[in-house]
Parts: sequence; structure tokens; C-alpha cells
Amino acid sequence: MNGLRYQLKSVRRDKMCILTFLLPVVVGIAIHLLSGMSVQSISETSFGVVQNEAADDTVTWLRQSGTVTEYESSDALFSAVNEPSTQMIGVIQEGDAIKTMISGDELEVNRVIADTLPQAYEERTEPLSVERTLIHVEADREGLKSLLTAITLITAMFMGCTFNAMNMIREKEDGIALINQVLPLTARSYAVQKILLGFIGGTASTIVTALICMRTESAQVLPFLLILLLSAYLSALIGLFIGTFSSGLMTGIVVIKVVMILFLAPPVFFYLIVPDNAVVFGLSYILPSSAAFYAIMDLFNRQSAKLWPALAALSVHAVFWSIVYKLLWSYRRCRHGGV
Amino acid sequence: MWNGFFGLLKKDFRLMLSGRFFVLALGSLVLYSCYINFVYVKLDQEIYPVYLYDPQETQSVISESVTKVESREALEAACADRYSVGIDLSAGKPELYLLSSGLETADHYRMIWGEAVLKGTAKGKAEVIGLHNKEMKNRREITAEFLFFELSAVGFLGLASMLFKEKQMGVIRVHGILPVRRSVFIFSKLLLLLASDLLFTVLLTGVNLGFLAALEVLPAVLLQAGILSLIMTLTGFLCAVRLPDFRQFSLFYLVLAVFVTTPVFLAGQTGIAWKWIFYHPVYHLFRAMKSAYFSMSTTSVPYYLFCFGGIVLLFLSACRTLKLEMAKEG
Repeated sequence: MNGLRYQLKSVRRDKMCILTFLLPVVVGIAIHLLSGMSVQSISETSFGVVQNEAADDTVTWLRQSGTVTEYESSDALFSAVNEPSTQMIGVIQEGDAIKTMISGDELEVNRVIADTLPQAYEERTEPLSVERTLIHVEADREGLKSLLTAITLITAMFMGCTFNAMNMIREKEDGIALINQVLPLTARSYAVQKILLGFIGGTASTIVTALICMRTESAQVLPFLLILLLSAYLSALIGLFIGTFSSGLMTGIVVIKVVMILFLAPPVFFYLIVPDNAVVFGLSYILPSSAAFYAIMDLFNRQSAKLWPALAALSVHAVFWSIVYKLLWSYRRCRHGGV
Repeated sequence: MWNGFFGLLKKDFRLMLSGRFFVLALGSLVLYSCYINFVYVKLDQEIYPVYLYDPQETQSVISESVTKVESREALEAACADRYSVGIDLSAGKPELYLLSSGLETADHYRMIWGEAVLKGTAKGKAEVIGLHNKEMKNRREITAEFLFFELSAVGFLGLASMLFKEKQMGVIRVHGILPVRRSVFIFSKLLLLLASDLLFTVLLTGVNLGFLAALEVLPAVLLQAGILSLIMTLTGFLCAVRLPDFRQFSLFYLVLAVFVTTPVFLAGQTGIAWKWIFYHPVYHLFRAMKSAYFSMSTTSVPYYLFCFGGIVLLFLSACRTLKLEMAKEG
């Protein structure tokens, strides 16, 4: 306990460490402030028309299916359609009909919409030949926002890793690691102190971030806390690995960079692209962050299908990596013949 | 003079080797290229799938975009993803069945689409006015972004780690009494980092765009990469000389990464229209890099004048800061 007090004292002097934990909170506030509309408009189909050329009822009709931007000239419309960062479909009025144009680099969904839009426009006044049943689902309407929030929460949970690794490498460079070797401090209690430090920091940072930008029901608090505690423990442990086995600050930074990319990119990718029942999706549980990410997205969507597999995967990870660390540590001690 | 310069160049090169600078760059190159080729290029969003429940087989011709299901339950289950559109022909009047995606406009179009598929009128061809297909666009876009990030963040960090090592070893103090000019000290680092950044640019572009496409865009890209590299290296140099230790520097680096490059990335990638982004200097550097990859000439004379002025200003202040630092070190 005394050791932990010293660790906390050393952290207090380290602005970098404090900032590591404050970062997700700041990003959480930024996401919270992002208005729902501006995020929503990104995922809408966007149409571009030339001002005064398109008939008013065409614009009104287009607005039912997406956002409409009016440009002053056809040149401006051409360059907006060609702009690589947008998915804009250009719509040109030709008498009673419309013509569409695309840049050719759009996603399939927008390509098909552009191809079929003129035909749909012609048939817009025909009476409905079908009965439409649109079922409103009770779920959050901010798909992208919840995705961003989940990413931020995962980052916060796994910040303990960055923090521990940086902290340990710095201790090595400052020579504190050497001093520790002559102090009455066992390797075991050192590891426990460091894990506790990363764990407490990661947990606190995630809880603050979650309070800012996550709305949960009371029934979801317990599963969320379980995921959080397991992830924060795992991340502190991974930080311990990086800190123990990195030789210098630069190597540490690169390893952290790679680990953070590996922890963030694949879960998002698998979640969005790969179907749930695919073998590859199951394999993605090899990464602890994937399990945490799926579980949090489930909580956002008010579902619980992936919650228990995720908790099981995280527990297995926690036990497995603790044993691996212990074994590696004893192996090193045997090789170096001492502490 | 030249002997001294080559001596410094050799020393800096060795320092970069020992700091594993090239290994890092190579590692990043492999990581980025793997991500681009195995993940990013394949990203797509397919058109809304249509599921048809037709127990009386009333539809003789079925479009290839339709999947048949055997029961109403199967139809409802298939549409549970809030993306697919279901058509039920079991009753007298055809019924379009869909779960709201949360976006009114998208739902509206999904209904139009379902109806068009049912009637078999979902055809036509939009005019294609662009030069690139989706794969090539994805490759160019993400390569431009990765290069921008690598040059603006990692090169900056590499230089700082090198300089802090030198500071620790007392090189700056020793340099104060060497018969070499101060500008040469900066110049040798600048030249080495510029060369390594340009090499990185050539490799990253070549690997991810393909040889021919790379050849076409490289002159413009190299110019932008050179400008960005010089600006970032000089900024890194200034900060590294000014700030007392690596810890404070990493704090600065974090601020730079989060608050300077992220809004630029968001605006560039998603096309969000923020008016204030126009006043963000890094945004223009990013736009110029992206335009170079898409062979668009959107950069103008004032942009190059600003860049040139910025580089000269940064160089002069780097010289001045180094002079102050040397005086401080005695």
C-alpha cells in the first residue's frame, strides 16, 4: 500500500502521464458537443444541383432521399462531384427528366442510387402500387456518434497500457529501475504496484468519459463495469509487458503505436464489415480490445448477444496473459541469475 | 567548410542508424502498406439487399439483386439488420417491409429502391465524369493521408529523439567551440531528414499506387512532401532545442497530433464543411498533398509564397534558438 502511495506521488509530478488519462476525457467532451445533425448528415446520400436550373419540385423530391447542395455553376457542380472526399451525386434537370453524374469512385450504394435515380424520378407521380410497412426501431439514431464514443471508451480503457509502458521506460532511462534493484522491493510487488496504477488510471478515465458521453440504463451498469475492469486490468498488464521488454523510449513509442493501431482498427473493421457468424469474426476475439468493443456496441444497441462471449474472452485473456507474464519473468530471472 | 559539413552529415547519419530511425520508417511502411492493400482497398458499402417472399410464385422474372426466402419469419429476420428491404407477395397487394435505419431520407430511398426492384425498373446508367475508379481513389486517398501523418508526426518525433540524445551527450556544448557554422549544424540534419522523407514518399507511393500511377504523381507529391518535411523538421528542431527534456516534448507532440492533425484529417476525409478550417494552416498543406495525389492543380502562387516564407522564418528562428542555447550551455 505504501508502495502504491509512492507510485501515485511520482505520477503527480508527471504531466505527461496525467495528460494520457485526460486525453480520452477531452475527446469525449468533443464528441458530446458534436451536434447529432452534423454527424448524421455525413451518412446521408448527398445530391448536388445547379442553382436556378433545377426545378423546385425536383429539389423537394431529392430532399426526401438525401441532402441537396445547390451550386452556382455547372463547373462548381462538376468539381464538387469529382472531389474525392465526398460521395456526391450530380443531378441535372433536362426538361421533365433528370440526368445523374458521378465521379466513378463512389461506394456501390451511391453508384446504384445514381444509376437508378432518373427512372425513379420519372415514376415519382405514379400511384403507389405497394403497401409500405416501415417499422421504427427503438435504438439510438446516431450510428456514427455511438461508434466514435465506443472508440473513445476503448482508447480510455487501454490508456493504462500507454501510461504504464511510458512510466516504466522513463524509470529505466532515469535509472530508477537500477535503484529499485537494491531497494527491498520484490519484482512481484513492483509488478502489482504498476498494474494497480495503470488499472486505477484507466478505470477512472473511462468512467469519467462514459459519464460525459454515454447514456446507459441501470441494468447495463454492471456488465459495463465488468468489461471496464477486465479491460483496464489487461491494458495495465500489456503496458507492463511493453515497459519490461522495450529497450528505449523510441522503441517503446513505436510498440505503443503499433499496439494502439492493432487494438483500435481491427475491431472497428470486423464490426462493420465481417458478418457475426463468420469464422474470422470469432478469431477477432484474439484481440482483447475486440471483445470489449463488441460488448460496448451491444450496450449501445440495447442488445446482449455478444456481451457474455466478450466477458468470457476478456477473462480468458486476463488469466492467460497473467500466466505468460509470470513465466516470462521467471525465465528472465533464471537467465540473468538474480532479480 | 565542406569537410566539416560532411563530418556532421556522417555523424547525423550514424545517429539516425543507432536510434533505429530507418527501422522505424521501414516498420511504418510495412504496416501502412499492409493496411492499405489488405483492408482499406476492399472497403465498400453494398446497395440495400432485397428479400422476396413469394409463396404463390407470382413473379416469373426475378432480378439478380433479389434473394428469395421461404417464410414471412425468414423475411423479417433477414430485414432485422435495418439495412435490407423485404417484399412480401403472400397477400393480395405487395407489401414492402423494412425496419427504420434511423435516417428518414435513407428509409425513403430504400422504399423507392424496393419498389423499383419489384417492378424491374431499377436500371439505367449515370454519367461518369471522374478519372479514377473506387480502388484507385481509395489507394490515392489513404496513401496521401498516411504520408501526411508520417511526415507531420513521426519525422518530427525522430528528429527530436536524435536531438535530445545529442543534448544529453553534450554535443551542442562541444559544437559551440567547433569551427563550423551554426547553420551547417541545422542544415545537415535538415538534409538527411529531407532525403529520408523523400525516400519514404517514393517507396510508400510506389508500393501502394503501383509503378505507373506513382510515376505520374510523384513529381507533384515529392514537392509537397519536401515542403511538409522541411516545415515539420524545422518545427521539431525548434521545439527540441527549446524544450528542456523529452517529456515536455512528448506533451507538445501529443497536442500537435490531437489538435492540429485530427481536425484536418476529419475535414479532409469526410468532407464536413467547417468554415474555420480555412484558417488552419496545416489544412492547406494537407489539401495540397491530397491534390498532388489526385493530379489536381488547386494549389496557387500565394500558397507556395507562404510555404517558402514559413520555411525561411523557421530556419532563421532555429538558428537563433540554437545560438541562445549554445550561449546558455556556455
